[in-house]
Amino acid sequence: MAGEASTKPPADSEHHEAQTPPPGEPINLIAFCCNWCSYAGADLAGVSRLQYPPNVKIIRVMCTGRIEPEFLLHAFELGIDGVLVCGCHIGDCHYISGNEKAEVRINTLKKLMDMIGIDSRRLRLEWVSASEGTRFAETVKDFKEQIEKLGKNKIYIAQS
Amino acid sequence: MSAIDELIEDTGAFDCVECGKCTSVCPVAEINSEFAPRLIVVKAQAGLEGLAKEKDIWSCLTCGLCNDMCPYKVDFTEFIRGMRSEAVIHGALPVCSKGGLLQTMGRIMTSPELKQNRLSWVTDDLKVAEKGDIYFFTGCTAHFDYIFEEREIKTSGILVAAVKIMNSAGITPAVSNDEVCCGHDLNWTGNEEHFEKLMEKNLEVIKASGAKQVVFTCPEGMRTFEFDYKDIAGDLGFEVLHISELILDLIDQDKLQHKDLDGKVTFHDPCRLGRHLGIYDDPRDMIKETGAELVEMERSRNKSTCCGVSAFATCEASSKQMQIERLKEAKKTGAQKMLTFCPKCWLHFKCSTWKKFPGLEEEVDIPIEDATIFFSKTLE
Amino acid sequence: MEKIGAVMIAGGGIAGMQSALDLADSGFKVYLVDSSPTIGGAMSQLDKTFPTNDCAMCIMAPKLVETGRHHNIELLTNSSIKDVKGEAGNFTIKVTKTARRVREDKCTGCGICTLFCPIEVPDSYNKGMKLRKAIYVRYPQAVPPTHTIDMEHCIGCGICESQCKANAIEYAQSDEERELNVGAIIVSPGFDEFNLELMRREYGFGLFPNVISSPQLERMLSATGPYRGLVLRPSDGKMPKKVAFIQCVGSRDRSIGNPYCSSVCCMFAIKEAVIAQEHNQGLQAHIFFMDMRAYGKEFDDYYIRAEQEHGILFTRNNRIADVSQDPKTQNLILNYIKDGEMKSEEFDLVVLSVGMVFPKDAKNLAEKFGINLNEFNFCDTDIFNPTSTNIPGIFVAGAFEAPKDIPGTVAQASGAAAHASALVSGQRDTLVVEKTFPEEIDIGGQDPRIGVFVCHCGINIGGVVDVPEVVEYVKTLPNVVYAEHNLYTCSQDTQEKIKQIAQEQNLNRVIVASCTPRTHGPLFQNTIRGAGLNPYLFEMANIRDQCSWVHMHEPDKATDKAKALVRMAVARARLLEPLPKSEIEISPSAIIIGGGVTGMNAALMIAEEGYDAYLIEKTDKLGGIVNRLHYGLRGEDIRKYLTELKSKIDSNDKIKVYLNTTLENFSGFVGNYEAELNVNGNKETLKTGVVIVATGGKEYKPEEYMYGEHDRILTQLEFGELLNEGKVKGKEFVMIQCVGSREEHRPYCSRICCTHAIKNALKIRELHPDSKVYILFKDMRTYGFREIYYEDATREGVLFIRFDNETKPKVSKDGDGIKIEVLDHFIQEDVALYPDYLILSPATLPNEGNYDLAQMLKVPLSKDKFFLEAHMKLRPVEFATEGVFLAGLAHSPKFFNECISEANAAVSRACTVLSKRIMEAYSAISVVDEFKCIGCGTCEEICEYHAPSLVEKGSGKLVSEINKALCKGCGACAVACCNGAITTLHFKNDQILSMVESAAEELKRESSKPAEEAQTGASTSGAD
Repeated sequence: MAGEASTKPPADSEHHEAQTPPPGEPINLIAFCCNWCSYAGADLAGVSRLQYPPNVKIIRVMCTGRIEPEFLLHAFELGIDGVLVCGCHIGDCHYISGNEKAEVRINTLKKLMDMIGIDSRRLRLEWVSASEGTRFAETVKDFKEQIEKLGKNKIYIAQS
Repeated sequence: MSAIDELIEDTGAFDCVECGKCTSVCPVAEINSEFAPRLIVVKAQAGLEGLAKEKDIWSCLTCGLCNDMCPYKVDFTEFIRGMRSEAVIHGALPVCSKGGLLQTMGRIMTSPELKQNRLSWVTDDLKVAEKGDIYFFTGCTAHFDYIFEEREIKTSGILVAAVKIMNSAGITPAVSNDEVCCGHDLNWTGNEEHFEKLMEKNLEVIKASGAKQVVFTCPEGMRTFEFDYKDIAGDLGFEVLHISELILDLIDQDKLQHKDLDGKVTFHDPCRLGRHLGIYDDPRDMIKETGAELVEMERSRNKSTCCGVSAFATCEASSKQMQIERLKEAKKTGAQKMLTFCPKCWLHFKCSTWKKFPGLEEEVDIPIEDATIFFSKTLE
Repeated sequence: MEKIGAVMIAGGGIAGMQSALDLADSGFKVYLVDSSPTIGGAMSQLDKTFPTNDCAMCIMAPKLVETGRHHNIELLTNSSIKDVKGEAGNFTIKVTKTARRVREDKCTGCGICTLFCPIEVPDSYNKGMKLRKAIYVRYPQAVPPTHTIDMEHCIGCGICESQCKANAIEYAQSDEERELNVGAIIVSPGFDEFNLELMRREYGFGLFPNVISSPQLERMLSATGPYRGLVLRPSDGKMPKKVAFIQCVGSRDRSIGNPYCSSVCCMFAIKEAVIAQEHNQGLQAHIFFMDMRAYGKEFDDYYIRAEQEHGILFTRNNRIADVSQDPKTQNLILNYIKDGEMKSEEFDLVVLSVGMVFPKDAKNLAEKFGINLNEFNFCDTDIFNPTSTNIPGIFVAGAFEAPKDIPGTVAQASGAAAHASALVSGQRDTLVVEKTFPEEIDIGGQDPRIGVFVCHCGINIGGVVDVPEVVEYVKTLPNVVYAEHNLYTCSQDTQEKIKQIAQEQNLNRVIVASCTPRTHGPLFQNTIRGAGLNPYLFEMANIRDQCSWVHMHEPDKATDKAKALVRMAVARARLLEPLPKSEIEISPSAIIIGGGVTGMNAALMIAEEGYDAYLIEKTDKLGGIVNRLHYGLRGEDIRKYLTELKSKIDSNDKIKVYLNTTLENFSGFVGNYEAELNVNGNKETLKTGVVIVATGGKEYKPEEYMYGEHDRILTQLEFGELLNEGKVKGKEFVMIQCVGSREEHRPYCSRICCTHAIKNALKIRELHPDSKVYILFKDMRTYGFREIYYEDATREGVLFIRFDNETKPKVSKDGDGIKIEVLDHFIQEDVALYPDYLILSPATLPNEGNYDLAQMLKVPLSKDKFFLEAHMKLRPVEFATEGVFLAGLAHSPKFFNECISEANAAVSRACTVLSKRIMEAYSAISVVDEFKCIGCGTCEEICEYHAPSLVEKGSGKLVSEINKALCKGCGACAVACCNGAITTLHFKNDQILSMVESAAEELKRESSKPAEEAQTGASTSGAD
C-alpha cells in the first residue's frame, strides 16, 4: 500500500543519535490529525477508553493536505521528539486527495530531515479512520516506543 | 538614540534629499506604484511609529539598484536590512515562501547538536578533502533539490560542476559536512541572532580546514562573508573568491584545459554578485572562455533587473512580472540560453517558465542554466 | 377550516425532541408538551449507548440544549393534555401546566435551594438509589433547568424561598391552563418499565437487596449516578465480583401479559456488562438469555467483541426460573442448565433486564386523542403507515409505537415530523420567528480577552484530571482574563453563564475545555453568538476524549496534559479572527436515488412537502425488491399497496421519474447539487438542493446448502413467489436461517430473515395444514411484536432446531430428494430430515453499486459496505456531508415499515435544508491575497473542487480567485502555494504554528535550566 512506504524507517541509518533515552526525560510528541477520520479515530479511542501514553498532544486540522512541511520541521526545531501525522486512509479522504498530497510532501520532508540531520523516523505518517480508535491508540504507543529508542531530539533552537 | 535613528545615521539615510532617483530605477516601484524607497526613508526620518510594520519594508528586494543610482550614496539596502531587524522585534514578520520552511532550516543549523548529511552530492568521481588551501563553500544549494523538486531543476549540479572544474585543474577542494547555511536569508529577514550563530559555525569550520581561500558558487554566500561576516568578525583570515574568478585564474595559469562550446548565450547579473560585490567582468570573461557567443540584454551589469525574490520572503505578484520582463528581454537577444550565477535566480526564473502561463508560452520560452554548470561542459 | 402552521408534540424524550427540532427547523411552530418537569426522557438516564459506547448525555446534550433554546419551540413541561378538539390541519388542545411553585422566568437553576431544603426523598431519576430534595431538578443537564417543588413531600418551611437570590419561589403559584391551536399532533410519550414488583416471587426484586433492575445498573454506571460510576451491592456497598443478568424479565412472557419482545434488552445487557467490567476491575458478568437479539447495524460485532475481547460469559437457552438468596451473605443463587446439566451458582449481584411496557399515560392519551391502541396498549399502526394513528393529523413516534432502540426512535420521530409538516406544508413559515442573534461586536483593534471554561464532565474529566488545578494554571496564561470550571459545560445553565460572563468581562475569545469539537463545537459557537461574538472566536480543548479517558491511570500526567492542551488552545485563540458570514441559495428540489418502496415514499413525501422530486431508478420499473413480496406478516396486501403507491407517484406532477437511469457524475454543494444522469443512454443534468440515497439492498445468492443444485432448494423470496402462485406441493418443509449472515466473513445479522421465515412457515401451515415445517436457526430474532408470530408458529407446530456455526446442517441429495442432517441441541442427537422443500433464508446484501455511488457522493460506507450514516444513534438518516441523506436498506437490512419510516425521516431532515431559501455557508475557506498571487495556477491544478480559477484582473494580470461556495476549506491550495498567497481562514499558518509552539513550551522551560536540574525535574514527573 502506498501509505506504508512513507512510514518505514530509512534503510541506511547514518545517524548517531543516542540509542537509549536518559532516564526520566519524558518524550514529547505531537500529532496532527485530520478532522474527519483521524481526529474522530482519536475520539473513538477516547470513547472506548483505550489507554495510550500521555506524551502526545493532538493538533486538529481539517485535512492532512493542509499540513505545511514547515509545521512539522518547526516542531523539531522546538525540540519536539516526534511528530505523527494521521489522515484518512488513501481513498477515504473527505477532500478526495488531501492525504495523497500530504504523503508526497511528507516524503520530501523526510529526505530533507535526513540531510539536515534529524532522523526522519521521528516523523511518521499513518492512516487512521474514524472507526480505528484501536489503531490510533496502538500507533501512539508504538510511535512513543520507537522515539524512545531513538532518544530525545537534541535539536533545540531558542526562539527570540 | 533610537535604533532607527542609529540606522539612519549608519546608512547615511539623512543625506537623502528626496530627489526620487531611487524610485525611478526601483524594479518594485516600476510595477507597484505604491512602493517608493524614498518614502520609507522619509517616514523613518520623521520617526513615524509603526514604520517597522509597514509591508513595504518586506516588499523591497534589496537588489541595490537604488544604492547604485543614489547621488548621495545612501545605503538603502542596508537601511532596509536594519529596519527588518526592528520589524521582527515589533512582531512584524514577512510572509515567507514554503511557509518559512527555509528559514527554519537555517535556524536548525545553528544547533550545536546538528549532525548533517550535507555531502550526499559528492559522488565517487569527485575528489574532495577535509583540509586544504581552497575551501569550497557549497551553501544550502544541495538541499534545495528536494524542496524544489517540482521545479525540475537540480541545483546540486552546480556543486558537482564546481568540484569537477577544480579537480580538472588539480585542485582538491576542502568541503565540510559541518558547514551550515551562510545565514544570508536570516540576516535579510531580520534574524541577526541566528545569523551570527551560523557565522560562528562557518568560520570555525573553515578555520579547521586550514584554507587560505574560500570559493563560492553562490553570490549570496560570498556577499555574506565579504561584508556581513567581516562587519562583525573583522578580518576572516582567508580570501573570499568567486568561482568565476578562480576559473579565470586557473585558465591564466594554464591549469584548466577545456574545449570550446558553440552557441549564443546571454547573462543575467545576480544582484548579490553584481551590484553588491561589484563582480561584472569575471563572469562574462569566463563565459567567453567557453567559446560561446555572449550577447547582452538591454539592461545588464549594474542596471540589470532582479529575479524578483530575495531571502525567500518577498515573492509577490510583482515578482513574476519582473521575471517575465527579464525573460522576454533575454529571449529578445536571440540567445539560446540565459545563464546566471545564482541558484536562486535560476530557481526564480524557472518558476516563470516551468508553468506555462497563458499567452506567454513563446515570449518567455528560454532555457536557463547556471554558469558554473555551463562552464563545466567544456571539460567533457 | 384553515390549516395551522404549528404542531404539538406530546412527549419530550429523544423522539419528541427530534420531531420538534425537525419541524422547528423547517418553518413550523412547535409546542413540546411533557408531563415531566424537564424534557429528555429515558435517554437522559442512560450512561452509554450501544454499539458505539457513546456517552448518552454527551450525544444528547447538544440536542437538549438546541431544543431548549430553539426560537420556534415552546416547551410546556409539567403539563398534561386535557382536551383535544378539531381535525387534521386544525386542532385545539387544552393543556394544564401543573404549578412548579418556582417561576420559570426567574429560576437560574443555580441549585442553592436544594442545598438548604431539609427534606430528602428517594430520587426517581436515580431509580431510588440516591436521595434528592423536595425542591429539585431532575438531572444536572436538565432542560429547562428550572427547579420544581415536589408538593407531595414539601413541608412548606419556606427555607428555599428565603435562600433564593432570584426570588423565583412562588408557593402560591397555581396550575395554568393553556389552549394551543395546531395543525398536527405527534404523540411520543415513550414507554414504561415493566413493574418488577410482579417478579417479587420469582426473582426477589424488592425482597433481596442485591437483585436490581437494568435501569438501576445503568444509573450506577453513570458518573452522575449514586456511586459515581461504580457498581456496588445495595446490601453492603461492596464491589460485586460475579454479576448475573437475567434476560426477558417482563418480556416474551404470556403469563404476565407481555408476550412480545422488548427489542433492546439483549444489547442493553451486553453494553451494561461491558461497561460494568470496565468500571469495576475484576467484575465478571454472566448473561443468561434465550435468543441473543443483536439484529441491528453492527450489533453482532458488538456481541462478538463482548464475548471474545471483554470475556463476558453468555449462557443461552436459559430462562432463569427463580432466584434465591443466601440469608447470611445476601448472595443470590441461580439454577441454570449448561451442557445438559443443571447447575447452581452463587452471584453477588443479579440484574433483571426489564422489559418495556406501554407508557402509563397511554390510555389517557388514547382516550383524549381517540387513537387506537393494540392489544398491549401500544399505539396501533400498520406496516404501510408506521407513524400514523387511526386519526388523520395525529402521528406517533418512538417506543409508544413498539419497543425500539434509539436510532429507530429517532428515524420514526423524523418520519412523523415529515407527515405532520406535509399536512400543513402550505402554512410553512407563518408562525415562526426569525432566529436572531445580537449584533456582532466589532473586536477590531482589541487585545485578546480570553475566557476559559473547563468542564468536569461529571467525573468523565474531573475524575482523572485535577480540573481546579487546570483552571488555576489557565489563569496565569497571557490574555486569559477569566477562567472557571463547570460540572457540565454543555448544560443549558452553563450556556447562559458563558454568555453572561462574556458580556460582563468583555471577552473577545472563548475557550471550552471539555470534549470533542466535532460534536460540541457548534453548540458553543452558537452560545458565543448569543453574546455578540463571531462564532469563529471560539476554540475548544479536548481534555476528555484525548486526555482523561485515555490516560485514566495516570492522573498527574493527564492533568499536566490537560494544562498543555488548554494552553495550546489559548495560544491559538489569541490569533483567531472573526469570519464573515456568507449565504447560499437553496434550490428547492430533491434527487432520490433508488426507485424501491423507500425511494418512492421519499419522493412522494418530498412532493407533499411542496418540493420537486426527481426519482431515479436504474431498472425499467419502480418497486425494487418489493416487487417480489406479496403479503406481510399480518397478511397485509403488499401488491395492492405497491400498485397504489405507483399510481400516486404517476399522478403527482411534482415527481419526475427517471427509469433506466444511473448517476454518472455528481458535483456541487448543499442546496446546489448537480447530477449528471445517464437516462437510457442519454445525458441529462439535474440541479437539486438535496439528495436522498435509497438504493436498497439485495438477496444473497447462496453458495452453500446445495443451492442451485436442486430445483426444490429455494430462497425465501423464490419460495414466497411459488407459494403465492399456489405451486408448492409437499408435506415437509425445512428452512435454514442465517444463510450467509453471521458468518466470519459477513458477521452482520440480516434482521428480517427470521420473521420472513416465520411468515412463510405460517403461510405453509395455513395452505397445507397437515404439513410439517422445520426452522433451523441460530437465534430467533423476531423482535418487538413480531415475537407474537414466532409464538404462533410454535403453537402451529412449526419445529425449531437450533444450530451454530460449528454445527451447521448438512445438506445432501437423497435420490431425487433432499436430505438434511443436523444436531438437535436440546436432545443432543443428530436428526435427519427428508423435506420436499429446503428453503434458505439468505443474507441481505449491500448493493454492489454502493462503492461507486459512495465515491461519487463522497460519503462513507460501513465495513459491511452499507452506507455509513453521520451518527449511529442520533443521525440515522443523514450523512456528514450536508444535504445528503439515506434511508432504507442502503443503511442496513430492515423491515418494510422501518424503510418507510426512514424514507419519511430522510425527507424531514431534508426539509430542514429545503425550507430555507437561503442558508449560511461555511466561512472557514481559503482566500487569495491578490497582491501576493503570481498567477501560477498551481492552486487551480490541485483543487479537487475546482474552487480556484485564474481570472484576469487589471492590465491582463492573472490572479487566482476562490469560489466561496465551492471551497471546502481543506487548505491543500494554501500549502501548494509556494509564496503564501493563499490563506486558509481559521486554520492560518500562524494559528497552527502557535499550537505547535505552545505544545513545545515545556521543553522551553527545561532547556533554560542547567542540564542536571532539568534531569531531576523531569525524573520527578516521570516517576509519578
